[in-house]
Amino acid sequence: MEADLTLAVEWGTAEPVYEQIARQLRTLIAAGDLRPGSPLPAVRTLASDLGVNLNTVARAYRLLADHGFVLIRDRAGAEVAAPAVTPDPGSLAPLWQELREVLLKLRQAGVTADEVRRAIASVVAPTGGETR
Amino acid sequence: MSPMLLLAIMVAETVLVGAVYLLYPWIVRKGLLFGVYVGEEVFDSAAARALTRLWYRGMAIVLAVGVAVGAALALAAATPVALVMPVTLQTLGFLGLYLWAYRRARRLAPAGPPPAAVAPLAATLPPSPLLPALTMAVGVACGAFAIAHAWAAYDALPASVPIHFDITGEPDAWRPKSIPTVMLLPAMALVLGIGLGGLAWLTANAKRGLRRFDQGASLAAQMRFRTAMTRFLSGTALLTSVMLTAMSVSIIRVGLGRAPALGRWEMALAGVLVLWAIGGTVYLSVRYGQGGSRLENANAATPLTNGIADNRNWVLGMFYVNRNDPSILVERRFGLGYTLNFGNWKAAALFAAFTAAIVVLLIVAATTS
Repeated sequence: MEADLTLAVEWGTAEPVYEQIARQLRTLIAAGDLRPGSPLPAVRTLASDLGVNLNTVARAYRLLADHGFVLIRDRAGAEVAAPAVTPDPGSLAPLWQELREVLLKLRQAGVTADEVRRAIASVVAPTGGETR
Repeated sequence: MSPMLLLAIMVAETVLVGAVYLLYPWIVRKGLLFGVYVGEEVFDSAAARALTRLWYRGMAIVLAVGVAVGAALALAAATPVALVMPVTLQTLGFLGLYLWAYRRARRLAPAGPPPAAVAPLAATLPPSPLLPALTMAVGVACGAFAIAHAWAAYDALPASVPIHFDITGEPDAWRPKSIPTVMLLPAMALVLGIGLGGLAWLTANAKRGLRRFDQGASLAAQMRFRTAMTRFLSGTALLTSVMLTAMSVSIIRVGLGRAPALGRWEMALAGVLVLWAIGGTVYLSVRYGQGGSRLENANAATPLTNGIADNRNWVLGMFYVNRNDPSILVERRFGLGYTLNFGNWKAAALFAAFTAAIVVLLIVAATTS
């Protein structure tokens, strides 16, 4: 883990604090800056550093665990999870639906297919993006 | 005590305490001005420098008045009050000047949203808990030994016991024997040993106040500062426990007539403790600065972040109150060391318990002297 990787929480924005934490961790994990197996800060440590409630950090970690980004190991804390080797079809269906809706919105906003492909490549590329 | 000796001690004491106060604006983290986060740019402005100069002039007057009053008391009345009054006046003057400067600094604070909160993701371990744990264990052991020793000797003590000693260690005041009189010092050994050791442990786990976009420089500075503070407080706790226990045993020996005065070893320990406390404070201030400020160097231009930089959570720039923050100790904005998060019920409870113990000991001391 790089020594200068940080999380930043902005106050007074519409996005809840736990979603800000989860979003930034998700981005770092997807970009490969946080590798599988890397430990995440303890809930209390992160809550103390950010000056937020313990439950806020715990909620962010649970959100990430629900989406497969982290593994919560109780007293051992949380660590970055490896991407699933075999996708679970049941958990993928709502994600595909979500993606379709986002793509429709992007098309309506005038985004081209090439721009969409480049955006997908920037997210998928660090973890291989292999086809099955 | 002779007037000249009293005068010499008073001057030395006033200079030392005054020197520590005068260090505060120099060791502060860039961006903080007399307890207010004004931003790194305003911190370097002419207005901020002018305010600091005025504060120094005010402190020079406070120190001069303190020395003058102390000298008058020492030479005219030769009273031990000469040792207490200057430091008291200094402290009151320091507080008054600080509050004045705080109000002026608030006018320089920027408007706008509160600063972001930043947390490092790199794995950083707090300073080892072994040393603070050891000091607490030593505090308990010393306090328990001192209490047991005093209790065992209680019946053999005469009807009148020494309660005060002059600078050479010879007793110069006595009181009728009573449990509070005999047990006061052993109780202090127990309370202070545990309290200071506990403070060292809390310091090792104190909240971190980082800068943004500084490639981890402020984090590294913070960790070095916390380690140094933890060791300093642990050393203070150990010396205090051992010194008070040795004093208690020695006082009992004097009371039983087995020695005419306190031993040189006990007196030396007291001197070592004073040198450690003052020397350590000055060393930490000059070497590290508050929160590692003197280690941040060029990276100090980047903005401070939440906790230390959010003015909403600070009352008079001295008291941190944030109910959402689980931290117990947070970095002080003005001065050296840490302060409690009074919005955390655990911190408030610890403060109340320790304060109650000290108040009880002070009341007992006052009623037995």
